[in-house]
Amino acid sequence: MKNLFYTPEKRDDYNNQMHSLGRLFTWIALAMIVLVPVAYALAAGKQPDWALLANCLPFIAGYWAIGLIEAVSYAPLLGTGGQYLSFITGNIANLKLPCAINSQNVLKVEQGSEKQEIVTTISIAVSSIVTTIIILIGLIPLLIFQNEIVSVLKPISPYVMPSIFGGLTMVVIAKYYKIAIIPFLGCIVVCVLGYSLGFGSSLSVATMIIIGMVISGISTTLLYRAQKKKKASLESAKVMSPTDTPNEEK
Amino acid sequence: MKESYVIIYIIGAIIAAMIIGMSVVFLVKAIKRAKAIGMDKKSITETVKNSAIFSIVPSIPIVVGIGIMMPYLGLAIPWIRLTVIGALQYEVSAAFAAGAMSNTATTSQIVTAIIVMTLSIISGPLFNAIFYKKFQNKLASIQEKNKHKMDSITGALLAGMLAGIISALIVGGAFGVGAPITDTSGITTYGEITLITLSTSVIIMLICGAIMILGKQKWIESYALPISILGSLLVALAFVPVFAA
Repeated sequence: MKNLFYTPEKRDDYNNQMHSLGRLFTWIALAMIVLVPVAYALAAGKQPDWALLANCLPFIAGYWAIGLIEAVSYAPLLGTGGQYLSFITGNIANLKLPCAINSQNVLKVEQGSEKQEIVTTISIAVSSIVTTIIILIGLIPLLIFQNEIVSVLKPISPYVMPSIFGGLTMVVIAKYYKIAIIPFLGCIVVCVLGYSLGFGSSLSVATMIIIGMVISGISTTLLYRAQKKKKASLESAKVMSPTDTPNEEK
Repeated sequence: MKESYVIIYIIGAIIAAMIIGMSVVFLVKAIKRAKAIGMDKKSITETVKNSAIFSIVPSIPIVVGIGIMMPYLGLAIPWIRLTVIGALQYEVSAAFAAGAMSNTATTSQIVTAIIVMTLSIISGPLFNAIFYKKFQNKLASIQEKNKHKMDSITGALLAGMLAGIISALIVGGAFGVGAPITDTSGITTYGEITLITLSTSVIIMLICGAIMILGKQKWIESYALPISILGSLLVALAFVPVFAA
């Protein structure tokens, strides 16, 4: 327990403390989340429709796969504290990550630095608090004016993602255009083919994030290897040159 | 509206309190660490302020999401589901799969839908609770051995995420021109408005950039993204009646 309360001096200790806290809160959150259907069934005095539940198993399996892919692929972007917080509070791609990227950009933090990790954690923590409070405040007018609120705001809900990512892309494009161009063109091709062949509805933003990350991972690996090879050949040429010189003199 | 039980509201309140508590603990720990590594107070305050302002507008559709699900699941369940992990599209799909997004759904179907919603989203947190520390240590060792490699991985993931999102929005928008799509929650998406919103957001951001650089107004940097989000959403709101007519 002591590990949770002291103020660490080293980065590793801070990281370990975040892991201890993150795991503790995650287990508590999981227990509370799982309690909801149990409590609802007991309060309503009804059992689930077991046959229907069995029919939904492929759906559940699909979301398990997506959840695991997201947990692995978002990890390097969210940092330790951000990862635990984001996977409890949700809305990662449309709120938490853009919020953290915006803060990193405003403060111009170095990629991979501890400062970046800390700024990300602060951003996601503040964002989680603000969202939870807005939801809580929103419940009261929602109870009274549900129809009015939904009828006014429902039509613009699909446009929140373009409103965030139009501006955000402009902010980060200068930094990432070299590595983003290949995945971007790849994703465009996948999307155009998908829509042309009639399965465009399957290519949601969530699906395209995973496809984009896979294409980007492959293209960046190839670029990284090519750069490494080029660097190695340049270095070997430099090493060769002093021995070459006497030969040339001969 | 379907019935919500007092016990569910109590659990919801505990979950909301726990999320705020966890966020405050992480915030305090991160701020203490920031001070320990020499980050100035101004940077910390700016991060807190920027994040708070940024989060306001994108949080409003979450409240709307609760409103959309309320007639079928009551108030308490959508509130809990959209406070933790969930996102509207996941929750509606799960409820739809269990047949609960209907006015004639039985209580048994609703119980089933809540189980499906719950089980569907727990793989991410379970991964974090069991494997994340080991996984993160592996990432840290890559970072230590080869910073360039780790930076490439991080950059690739971020670039891939942006590429995926932008291409889905552009191509989805282009193919949606003249062919609006209504999803299971009853929300209609017009391709034209998607493209208009995306373009407006880009234009507002460029204008903010120009004001910042040419007008030497550094302060606008912190507000540029919230301004472009709000401005483009207002444009979207203005165009909805045009295309819905």
